Amino acid sequence: MELVCLGLNHRTAPVEVRERFSVMTPKLGEASREMAALDGVSEAVVISTCNRTEFYLAADLGSATLRLTEEALILEHGLGADASHHFYRKQGGEAARHLCRVVSGLDSMMLGETEIFGQVKQAYQAALDSGTTAGVLNRLFQRAFGIGKKVRTDTRIQEGATSIGSVAVDLAEKIFGHLKDSEVMILGAGEMSRITAQALVSRGAKSIFVTNRSYDRAVDLANEMGGRAVRFDDRQAVLEKVDVVISSTGAPHAIVTKEHVEIARRARKYRPLFFIDIAVPRDIDPAVGEIEEVYLYDIDTLEQLAEEARVRRKRQIEDCELIIESELAKLNLPGT
Amino acid sequence: MDRALLIISTLLASIGGVLGMLSVHRGSRSRWTVVWMVAAFLCQIGFLSVRGEARGACPLRGLGEILAFLAWSLTLFYLVVGPPYRLSLLGVFTAPVVVVFQVAALVPGVLTDHPERASGADPWREIHGAMSVLSYGALALAGVAGVMFLVLDHQLKEHHLKSGLFRNLPPVRELLQSMLRLLWIGCGLLTIGIVAGFMMPRSGANGHLIAAVATWVGYALLLGVKTLRGLTGRRMALAAVGLFLISLTVFAFV
Repeated sequence: MELVCLGLNHRTAPVEVRERFSVMTPKLGEASREMAALDGVSEAVVISTCNRTEFYLAADLGSATLRLTEEALILEHGLGADASHHFYRKQGGEAARHLCRVVSGLDSMMLGETEIFGQVKQAYQAALDSGTTAGVLNRLFQRAFGIGKKVRTDTRIQEGATSIGSVAVDLAEKIFGHLKDSEVMILGAGEMSRITAQALVSRGAKSIFVTNRSYDRAVDLANEMGGRAVRFDDRQAVLEKVDVVISSTGAPHAIVTKEHVEIARRARKYRPLFFIDIAVPRDIDPAVGEIEEVYLYDIDTLEQLAEEARVRRKRQIEDCELIIESELAKLNLPGT
Repeated sequence: MDRALLIISTLLASIGGVLGMLSVHRGSRSRWTVVWMVAAFLCQIGFLSVRGEARGACPLRGLGEILAFLAWSLTLFYLVVGPPYRLSLLGVFTAPVVVVFQVAALVPGVLTDHPERASGADPWREIHGAMSVLSYGALALAGVAGVMFLVLDHQLKEHHLKSGLFRNLPPVRELLQSMLRLLWIGCGLLTIGIVAGFMMPRSGANGHLIAAVATWVGYALLLGVKTLRGLTGRRMALAAVGLFLISLTVFAFV
C-alpha cells in the first residue's frame, strides 16, 4: 500500500482553476467516497480550502493512481490536458512531509496561519465519518496533527500579526485589553477602514461610529457593520467618547489636528486614545502623536510591523522543517 | 530562626525574579514567578510569626521589622491582585522591590537579634503600625504597576514592539485600573492608620505622624484630581512612583 497526494494550491494554480476543484465543506465526505471508489484506491481524504484542494490516497500502485486520478479530475471538470501542470504529485514520505507542512501552516499563503489546522481536521473527520480511511490515512493524519501542534508550540511560526488589520487589532488589544468596552470611530468609508473595523468588531468592539463626507456612504457602511452613522461635522463630539479612531479618507490634508484632540482631552478625562491612520496622504496630523495619552500609528508603521512579523515567521521555517523531519523519522508510517 | 526565614524568603523572591526576567528575555511568559513568590510569602509569614511571638505584639518595632512587614505587605497585595486579574509580569517587577526591602532589613544592625517583649501593648498603636505599613504595601505595588505602565507606554509611543517584555506586559487599561485600585486601597488603609495614630497615646515627637498625614494628603490629592478632572496615564504613574519614593525617603528620616 502506497501513500500519494495529488493537489493544487495558490502557488500552482490561479483562482479560476482552484475554484473549479473546490469542494464545499458539507460535500467533503462525499468527495472522499468518490475518490476511494477509484480503481486501486483503498483510502481517501479530500482537503479543500480557498487556497488549496488536495487528495490524499492510499493505493496499491502509487504512480499509476496519481496518473489515473489526475486524468479523472481533469475530465470531470472539463479541463484540457494542459491543466496537468497546475497539479503537484507527491508519494510516500514526501506526501507525509507535505501534509505536516500544510497542517503546520508552512504551505499557507499567510505563513504560520492557524485556520488551516482546523480545516484539515474537518476534512479528515468528514472522511472518517464516510468510512474512507483506514490503517494508512488514520495513522498519517493523527500523527500530522500531533506534529502540527508541536511545531506551533515549539517555534514562533504563528507569532506576530502579519497584516495591517491584524497589527492594528493586536495594538488595540495591547492598549485596551478586551475590546468589549471599546468604542471605535471610522473616518472615511473606504475599504481599508472597513476591513480594519471589521477585525475590531470580530474581537468584540462595543460600538462603531462611521463618519464620511458623503453621509449616505457612512450610513451604508454603518448598516453593514451594525454601527451608527455620524455626520462629518459632528465628528468632534464622537472623538470625545471613542477609544479607537480608524481613518482612511481621501482628503488631501490632515482632518484631525492636534487642536481637535486637545479640545476633546478634557471631556475624555485624558483616557488613552488610539489612532490608526491608513490614509495616504495622512489624515491625522503627526503632531497628534505628541499628546501624552495618544498612540498614533500610520500605514507605514503598521506595514513595517506586519513585514517584521512576516520576516520573523520566515526565519522560523527552518526550525519547523527540522521538527517535522525529526518527528517523521521517529515514526514508521505505513505507505511512506 | 527568624533571620534564617527572612534570608530564605529573600532568596526565593530573588530566584523568582531572576527566572521571570530570563523567561521574559526569551520572549515567553514567566508562569513560575507566582510559585516562587508564594514560597517567599510563606517564609515572610514565618518570620513575622516568630518575631510577633517574641514581641508579644505586632512585629513593627524598629526599621528591620518595618521593612520586612512592608515586603510581606507588598507580596500579599501582589498575590491578591496579580494572578486573579492575570496581570502578567507584575511578579517579575515586584520581586526585585521585595528583595531590596528584605536585603535592607538584613543589613547587620538593622534587625535586632533579640527583640524585646512589648510591655502593655496599646491596640491603637498596633492598628496604627499595621495599617500604615499595610497601606505602604498597596502603595508600593501601585508604584510597581506605575513603572510597568511607563515602560509599556514608552514602547507603544516609540513603536518599539519587538521585545519579549512588550509581548508579556499586560494591556495599558488593565495596568491603569490596577494602579488606581491599589491607590484607593492604600489610601483607605493609610486613613485607618492615621486615625489610629491620633487615638494612640503619644509622647514627644510626632514627626512620623505628620509625615503620614503629608503622605495621605499627597495621595488624596492624586486620587481627587484623577476622579474629578482626569489624569493621563503617564502622569498618574509618575505621581504613584514619585509619591511612594518621596514618602519612603521622608519616613527614613523621621
